Amino acid sequence: MTSDRRVLVVDRTDGALAGVMEELDLLGFRVVWVPTPAAALAFIKTSPTLSLVIISATAAEDGGDEFLTEVKRDRPGLRVLCGTKPNAPPSLRRGAFPDSLIPEPFRPNALRTAVSALLAEQFYPPAIATAIKSSALEVLGTLGEFRVDAGEFLVPNQTALSDLSAIIAFSGEASGHLMLSMTSEDARSLYLRFVPGARAVPVDRLEDLVGELCNRILGRISAFFAQHAMSIQQTTPLFIRAAGSTMRYPGRHPSFGVQLTRGDARVSLEYYLADFDRSKLASGATKEVLGLGEVLFF
Amino acid sequence: MLARYNNGLLRGHAGLTIDASTRESRMSWSILVVDDSATARAQLRVTFEAKGARIVEAENGREGLWRARSEKVDLIISDVHMPVMDGLQMIQEIRKHPELANTVIFVLTSDAASTRAAEGKKAGANAWIIKPIKPELLWKAVEKALFGRQSGSHAKSTPVADDAARNIK
Repeated sequence: MTSDRRVLVVDRTDGALAGVMEELDLLGFRVVWVPTPAAALAFIKTSPTLSLVIISATAAEDGGDEFLTEVKRDRPGLRVLCGTKPNAPPSLRRGAFPDSLIPEPFRPNALRTAVSALLAEQFYPPAIATAIKSSALEVLGTLGEFRVDAGEFLVPNQTALSDLSAIIAFSGEASGHLMLSMTSEDARSLYLRFVPGARAVPVDRLEDLVGELCNRILGRISAFFAQHAMSIQQTTPLFIRAAGSTMRYPGRHPSFGVQLTRGDARVSLEYYLADFDRSKLASGATKEVLGLGEVLFF
Repeated sequence: MLARYNNGLLRGHAGLTIDASTRESRMSWSILVVDDSATARAQLRVTFEAKGARIVEAENGREGLWRARSEKVDLIISDVHMPVMDGLQMIQEIRKHPELANTVIFVLTSDAASTRAAEGKKAGANAWIIKPIKPELLWKAVEKALFGRQSGSHAKSTPVADDAARNIK
């Protein structure tokens, strides 16, 4: 991937947005701080592939309107997120508008949601995002009416684990991993749909189900890449039982997260794409793949 | 390629007749299921035993090869990605044994690339099936492959391609 993973933070002091910087660092971004909009403009001119600018409400009071107008004129693709003070209108009132406004002090979840909405496409282009979601819905759809809950989001390379998780790595012309997590209770509910009539279901069987679903979803996602002439080899699942723990993995950018729900049941999916050939994606689908449930006799 | 269908529906073969309706097999076929997922094996066991089939299980290609040689099975359904020995290696090994040369082998996998299916054909598989598939539809494919054959007749049976060709005609 060639996109720049730098975020420019504009604030009068470098300590005020320390939490923001930490959060962005977790999401895989490198943060650069400047104190004023004027300094930000100078930096932007020398950074043609910058991803995002976050400007605090206080900094925006000092020439924020002019800054935004100039940025939107010269770099329309550059995303700008602006803070707003509590019980006060945004400092930016006229001319161009920022891409997102969030109240200060920035809360980690609000910041992560806003950054995800603005930058997810840089890491996971719409075609890939759609393939991930539709693959999950296709496979889980055989076990009931699932839906994507609240859209997709970026996940830092440190994730909270549920009762049962399975992870499958893949390599080749696209590389990364897929992780699926759910509670034991939800796994049990799905198992009874998968193997009707099963009585006592030991936890290793529940875990095995999570691995099998992970395998099937990854197979469908990989079919998308196969359509674009990208060959992928996947491993067998690894299982993790560590509810309440976290797992960190080395990565240069965030994962793509989706929550899928059916009633009260919830399945968490994280897809990490370390690398792939963007030129093959841009050239469109060229290869034939088999459909779900398809039988090809020789 | 002689026959191809998706969820019981024919695709691209106007004259082909595949009975995907309600024919119930009275045959007591033996089926070897090779998959590292115990859950996937259990799902097929429940469905196929309800149809009267005898199920033999193996959790990787090496065990599958051993089971195929030691048990008289009519059909093998194998996953691809497995530890120890993968499904395609197992099929290649099975086809080296004359007594197993005509055993019908289905590959049941989430690997949907047509190039991989071609590798399966080269290894000696008789069908490449994308999971998840409704177990009932998989059973229809089993019936299609084995219909008219006697239980345990793997050594004398005709390949599935011949059965499919008969249906086409």
